[in-house]
Amino acid sequence: MRSDVVRLYKVVHTWTGITAGMFLFIAFYAGSITVFAEPLARWVSSPAPVRLTALARSDELIAHTLAARPDAAKEFTLHLGETEDLWARLTWRKGKDDRTPWSAELSPEGDLRLAQSYRSSLADFVDNIHRTAGIPGANDIGETIMGVVSAVYAVALVSGLIIVLPSLVKDLFALRITPNLKRMWLDAHNVVGVVSLPFHIVIALSAVVFCLHEPLYDALDYVVYDGRLKSIMAASNPFNSIKKDERPAPMLPVNTLLERVKAASPSFVPTEMRYRSAGLRGASVQVWGYDTRYMTRGKGFAVISPVTGEIANTDYLPGREGTWTGVVATFFALHFATFGGDVVRVCYFLLGIAGAFLFYSGNLLWIESRRRTERRNGGPVNQKTSTRLMSAATVGVCFGAICAISITIVAAKWLNGRVANIDVWHNGVYYAVFLASVLWSFLRGAAAAGVELLWLAAIAAAAIPFTSLFSWASPALGMQGSASMAALGVDLVALSAALCFVWMARSAAHRVQYGPADSVWAASHRQLQEAAR
Amino acid sequence: MSQIRRDWVSKTSAGAILGFSLAIALAGLFAWLSPGGLATPNKFQLVMWLIAPIWLTTLSMCFFFSSGMRAWLWLGGVNLLAYAGLFACRLLLL
Repeated sequence: MRSDVVRLYKVVHTWTGITAGMFLFIAFYAGSITVFAEPLARWVSSPAPVRLTALARSDELIAHTLAARPDAAKEFTLHLGETEDLWARLTWRKGKDDRTPWSAELSPEGDLRLAQSYRSSLADFVDNIHRTAGIPGANDIGETIMGVVSAVYAVALVSGLIIVLPSLVKDLFALRITPNLKRMWLDAHNVVGVVSLPFHIVIALSAVVFCLHEPLYDALDYVVYDGRLKSIMAASNPFNSIKKDERPAPMLPVNTLLERVKAASPSFVPTEMRYRSAGLRGASVQVWGYDTRYMTRGKGFAVISPVTGEIANTDYLPGREGTWTGVVATFFALHFATFGGDVVRVCYFLLGIAGAFLFYSGNLLWIESRRRTERRNGGPVNQKTSTRLMSAATVGVCFGAICAISITIVAAKWLNGRVANIDVWHNGVYYAVFLASVLWSFLRGAAAAGVELLWLAAIAAAAIPFTSLFSWASPALGMQGSASMAALGVDLVALSAALCFVWMARSAAHRVQYGPADSVWAASHRQLQEAAR
Repeated sequence: MSQIRRDWVSKTSAGAILGFSLAIALAGLFAWLSPGGLATPNKFQLVMWLIAPIWLTTLSMCFFFSSGMRAWLWLGGVNLLAYAGLFACRLLLL
């Protein structure tokens, strides 16, 4: 590689990296947590233990519900699981964004109990932070911005690779822990970047698609499909696979439908059944579930007719997809870690955290390369305003997001069932903590704020297992402490995160006191002394 | 060998704009020429997925051109070929 090309790409890498870095830090940190969205939902679960109607009585439950509430027939969901994040066996809502779904249960005596309750999902909130990096406003604004950020990120990846290629073999496995700290951070940045490069390429490209698919489809429709894309999409839509027919018809029992799906794919584990137009001849049921033997797009599903029992569509049933949906399912799986079970999920969690480290260390290197060092005889130095601001922003945004997510998780458990609209609280808590952290960082300077925010991150993370302890120890608090392995896993991960933050806070504090004074990371009085010397 | 020119604006715009139009055209050619043709159900998703890798590879690599002018000329030329192919598909396969 010619050295002038490498120099050019260094500039490309610097500016793409510094533009996208902090957005990506938040997206990766929140994304790592989103890999374990289900355990998180179980950890926060409902304030009171719920006894779900026995699965064996599902048909009875459906019949009673439809008799009492014909409006539920349009679309309702039968939940097949037994996990603590479920609050009812059967639910229905008016439209996608209805936050106050109805639910139906049978009492042991067989009486129907209907209820309407406000529902919100902490896991969805964290997922939204992942998808928008916490950019406020409507989700699609944040996602569009993140689509562009992801494109910039892809360019940063390629340029980064081009820079390290000439010295790849020599430098890759070198981690030079020497007095030259910049060298050590650069070695760490390079090794993490190169080793997880395939993961990053997959994430960058798929994120561009997830965020920008609508404009991309519009462009394709205009240039290639000549306006016919909508009708092709409609013809491909699995939900249209059963013709509309409004004559009434009896429905087969739940078990029969599940057996048919099992026959079609024995390793598929159903988790919920979404009924549409129940009681009519044109009724359909989407049986949703997972199958760890295949690479799947999140959950997969089969569409089955509850009247005839015929499977109408398997385009999204793991292992039974056609060529086209099968290939695309692989791309989804590679982003969502929906393959290979928990081992892959743990790997993705670690790769995500490593990714967050990559962007954080990238910003550190940007700051370090612009550092004014004290030459032996050159006298005292004052750091540039640009590196002061960038270091404050990096610390405030990155640690602010970490603190804000932990505190939102803790607050969700304490507020669950006590406040009317918990979505408002999720947002309020997250943005209050995040903005306060950023403000704090600019007021105090990166050196001091870094230590303080890391201590806050440690306390906030430790509050997660302590919340569980409180809810077990004191049932009067009205928080259902879950004892499932999934929920315990959340506590354990949070506890180890807290220990990591303590370690980081202590080493950052050491650097503030004893690190080189000609640095933005030294205590401000030491920097002042340095400048006045 | 002559020194590579930086030409930030012209290279970046060539990669971003012509890379995007090239990606649309190549994805379109795939849609036409892969088994089943344009209207095959469910194929459109894969076609859309092809855009990002082609577009961003072009954008990332376009700084290798020795000047912004060359980037525009080369990518413009490849675009012309790709769109000629797309036009031919529309005429011959419809």
